[in-house]
Formats: sequence, C-alpha cells, structure tokens
Amino acid sequence: MAIEQQERVTPKPGQLVEMSWDPITRIIGNLGIYTKIDFENQRVAECHSTSSLFRGYSVFMKGKDPRDAGFITSRICGICGDNHTTCSVYAQNMAYGIKTPKLAEWIMNLGEAAEYMFDHTLFQDNMVFVDFCEAMVKGTNPSVLRRAATTDAPNAGIHGKRTIADIMQAFNPFEGDVYKEALTISRVTREMFCLMEGRHVHPSTIYPGGVGTMPSPTVFTDYLSRLINIIDFVKKAVALNDDVFDFFYQALPGYEEVGRRRVLLGCWGAFQDPEVVDYRYQTMNEWGKAMYVTPGIVVDGELVTNNLIDINLGIRILLGSSYYEDWVNEKPFVTEDPIGNPVDMRHPWNQTTLPAPQKRDFDGNYSWVMSPRWLDPRTGDHLALDTGGGPFARLYTTALSGLVDTPYVKSTGSSVQINLPKGPDLPEMTLEWRIPQWSNAIERNRARVYFVAYAAAMAVWFVERALERVRGGDTKVFQDFDVPDQAIGVGFHEAVRGVLSHHLVIEKGKIANYHPYPPTPWNGSPRDRYGTPGPYEDAVQDMPIFEENGPENFKGVDIMRAVRSFDPCLPCGVHMYLGKGRTLRKLHSPMFGGGHD
Amino acid sequence: MARIRVGKPDVKPDTPSHVKGVRQGNAKGAYRHQAGHHKDDTADARRSTGIRPGKENPILPIMPNLSPS
Repeated sequence: MAIEQQERVTPKPGQLVEMSWDPITRIIGNLGIYTKIDFENQRVAECHSTSSLFRGYSVFMKGKDPRDAGFITSRICGICGDNHTTCSVYAQNMAYGIKTPKLAEWIMNLGEAAEYMFDHTLFQDNMVFVDFCEAMVKGTNPSVLRRAATTDAPNAGIHGKRTIADIMQAFNPFEGDVYKEALTISRVTREMFCLMEGRHVHPSTIYPGGVGTMPSPTVFTDYLSRLINIIDFVKKAVALNDDVFDFFYQALPGYEEVGRRRVLLGCWGAFQDPEVVDYRYQTMNEWGKAMYVTPGIVVDGELVTNNLIDINLGIRILLGSSYYEDWVNEKPFVTEDPIGNPVDMRHPWNQTTLPAPQKRDFDGNYSWVMSPRWLDPRTGDHLALDTGGGPFARLYTTALSGLVDTPYVKSTGSSVQINLPKGPDLPEMTLEWRIPQWSNAIERNRARVYFVAYAAAMAVWFVERALERVRGGDTKVFQDFDVPDQAIGVGFHEAVRGVLSHHLVIEKGKIANYHPYPPTPWNGSPRDRYGTPGPYEDAVQDMPIFEENGPENFKGVDIMRAVRSFDPCLPCGVHMYLGKGRTLRKLHSPMFGGGHD
Repeated sequence: MARIRVGKPDVKPDTPSHVKGVRQGNAKGAYRHQAGHHKDDTADARRSTGIRPGKENPILPIMPNLSPS
C-alpha cells in the first residue's frame, strides 16, 4: 500500500510531473499506475504498473488433495471465480484421464456464457462507461460534451437516444437509465449462471468428471426464457457503444493513440465442443481448435499459432522487476510433456514461487506480479502478450482462424458474424465485429460489448444442443474416476478478462505443483529481465493526453480509460499526487494492508 | 525454499480432504451403483424415488424418461 505525499504545484514549462493512481478504483484493488507526464507536450513520458498484493496460491496449494483445486482456486477472484473452477476442472480431467459427459459439457458452456454476459455488462456499463458518461466528460472535456449535444446518434432507431449527449447522460452513475438497466441485466444473467453452476461466483456444482446440476428440461427452458428477455438489451448495447466510440474518434482526432500498443494478443480458447474434446494432451491441438472461441496468438495482426500444444510449450514466466527469487536451482517437476517435447524450467509446470518481500524501487523490483511472456519460436523474442481485456483477443483469434461455424456465430477469416434471435421488442439481428486497425482503448472496449452478443448467441446454440440430448433421454452428467498417484495436467480457458491457464502436477496423489495464470499477470506485468515493459506500461507510455484540465485539477481520464480498457483485475485505487519531478517521500509497505496498523 | 520465516503449521496441507476408509463419491464404479442410472447414459424413475418407481415411468417407450429431481 502506498501512501503518497500530496503537493499542489504548477510545473514550469518542459518539466515532467509525476502522477500516480494507487490503487486504481472501479476494479478490485491494488493496481497502482505511476506515471511521469509532460504537460507541455501533452504526453505520458513514463509509466510503471505495480501490484502491492501477494496471493501465494501456488505456495499453499502444494500438498493438498487435487480434487479440492477447483474449489480453492475459485477464491482467487470475487467476480470470475467460476472461470478458475472450470479451468481447474479441465486441468484435472487431463490429469485423471477422464472427460466430462457431453450433456455436462453443454451445462458448463451455458454457465460460462452467462458469466461472460454478466461480467462484461457490469464492467462495461457500470464501470468503463463512467469514464465516458456526461458527468465525467463535462469535467474533463467540456468542448466534447458541447459537440455531443448537437451530434445525432446514427443508431437512434435501435436504442432510442437522439444525440450522443443523450447516450452519455444515460450512463451517468446511479441516475442514467442504461446504467440502471445494466444492473438489472447483471442480476438476470447471474440467475442464468446459477441455474447451471449452482451458485455465483464460486460454483457449487462443477467438479472434475462432470456437474451436479440436475439436467431437467426446466433448467434449460428457465435459462432460455431469461436469455430471450435480455437479448434486446444486448442489441441496444452494441448500438449505443458503437455510436459513442465512433463519436470519440470524430470529436478528438488522434484518439486512436490512447492506450494503443502493438497488436500482441493471446487467447486460450473457451467453450469446449463435447463431440470433440477428450482432454488428452496428445490431442489438445484438435480439441483446442474445435472450441467455440478459438485459441490463438496474434502478432502484428497475423495469427502465429492456434495450436494449444505450441501455446503451452511457449509460456515462460520471467522475473526482472518482481519481488521473487529465481527458481532455476529448484527441482524441475516436468522435463518432458506427454508427447516428448522438452519443457523449460521457466514454464509454469516447473515454477517454484519464492517470495522475497522488499521495498518498492522503480529502478529495481516494484511489483508482486511476475512477467509471463510467450516465446515466439520464429524470432526467439519473449512477447509481452495482452488479452485486450479478454473479448478483443477472443474475437481477434476467432475471426482470423475462421473455424467457428454455427448458425448463430460464424467466423469469416476477417470478422465474426453474430446472429441474435428475435427478442420481445426488436427483430432478429445480425451483428458483425470486424478486425479493427488498432489495438487501443476504444477497440478493447468496443469488443467487450460485441462479446456479450457473442456469448448470448452461443448460449442459444448451447441450449438447443443440450435440450436435444435431454429429449433423447440422456441424463448422464457425471463420470467417475480414481485419483492417480502421478500425473500432470493443464487447463486452458478464458477468464472473463482474458487468458487463463492452470498447470497441475500430482505426486503421491497430492498436488506437487499448481500454477494458475489468470489474465492480469499478463496485462499488468512489470518490466521483465530483458527490459520489455508489460502491456499496461507499454500502452500508457508515450500516450497523448486529450484532457482539457491542466496539472492543477488533472483527472487523468485518458490514462484511466487506457488502463481500464484492459479490465484490470489486480487486487489496485486512485489517489493522485502532484510533484515537482523530484523524488517524493514514499511511505510504503510491500504487503497489502501492511501499512495499516 | 523462500527465505521468509514462517511459523510451524498446526495441520497438514491436506487435512480437510479425504479420510481413508470413507467411500469416495468419485471412485470408479460409483456411477454403476447409483440406483436408476443405466449404462447407456439414460435413467428411469428409480433415480427419483424408491416407492413404486415403475408406475412413474413414461407411458410410451418412445418418450424420454425424465424423472424429477
């Protein structure tokens, strides 16, 4: 926890002003963003992202019964815990040599689809849009708001808001009608989730080998009726978001540079196809490609691979600016994968977490987050992949791979077409997400609302498939198994905000090593030992500032839009300090809460 | 190991898990012993009730056997 001294000063021309937000608000908390801003040139000169929270899951999972892993790792997150349970189940299925019965697989897909709809709606409409709402824009860019009041909304026919300013007003926290409706939608989608996975956010009916959900026809029809009732909101949300984001490009020329970085994206795939998946490592390439969100790695707009085995073997966990000791001299757990490929010592299967608490030093170690990277076999570079907040990478890899082909979602090779059925008010509608020119804050945010539509459309498909099985008399949702003495497993899934992997090693029937890698260590990683900055740092560094306020009452809205577009999930707030560019006195403890005695 | 000084644990890491001798719900063969569950992934009314389950089954063979939970 950092406690900063605040000094209000007016910088002299050419002077860098230090600004920091620690912790960042409207996300769970302890991400800190420390910047130096060049107000004369309206640019961010330098940026460091830091986390003051040590979790230690990889430390205390050791020695536990592997069957408990899904229930324990769920507690990593208070909003996407079920993604961890699901991912852990995938990893355990591989380790136990079993597969989930087909009907249970559809039930898990339905639960996860509801989770994406819930979490993305809540984050987009109740958190991200606070940065774009009337109340915020009035305080940061009054000229933009004046222009919004006279700009007609192109999609007014769908959402019913005449001008862009009307839309911004509808997103005002606690007052705006879309803000309030989004809260209702979050509730309904959570109910849908609970029908399938028993409880939100830590599921009670998801286990290795299957689910405990009773597959009665009513469970699926209850889910479907809720889904059809919210489908019109999804259609309107896409139209509202498109109008506001397109307006920002028009009103603030150059806004595409906010949060922009090189296209370096990773997606580990979601929604298993029960007809193909068998959870064997040997066939991971085939069942990975059959997923209804295609995994993949994209570099500069080009798909490098969508083979999960290549993705797995390329993962490297680097140190460089993190409060840990190196584990190269520790015992390796997995030297070869099940098909004989060598596994690196810096791979999560071999990682040993050795925490070394110390004082924060931006020239040395400054974060509890390690630096996960992906080794590009073509160039030998350790790529700092980001997830684009999740949906951006998911839509990107799915679009480029051209593998998903269902009546509701179809990948074309350059876009994703989403067909949403008729709702109570609006007719059937086809939406198309096209690969954008940039990887920036606006496009990450836009992708999020399109992915809500994607998940809704896929959910209709999953309900149809599940009901087909139920009508055929299939009621099997659980597969029995014995826990082996020795085994390894890996689960690849998509947490709401991006890539999620669980690497598991079992020895003597107990967990010998367990490493969950959720999206935020990828996005919020600090500089690695090669000096490569993490995605937040990279996206914010050298970013132009469009805010009309000077250093006196600077809100940092552009920086916040850039960081929040990644949907940060580090347990990080915002207090800001203004310095003269000199080193400020910092009272700091590396442990979250350690400063409060 | 890390150089952090920690106290002596009161319990083993796997204390809350399986106790030897207790039947495991996940153990191989468990599904076969569940009343009313068939090998072909279907089930009948015996799954839901032990009281004259035969009377609760569908009236025609072409109907799926979907017993209440």
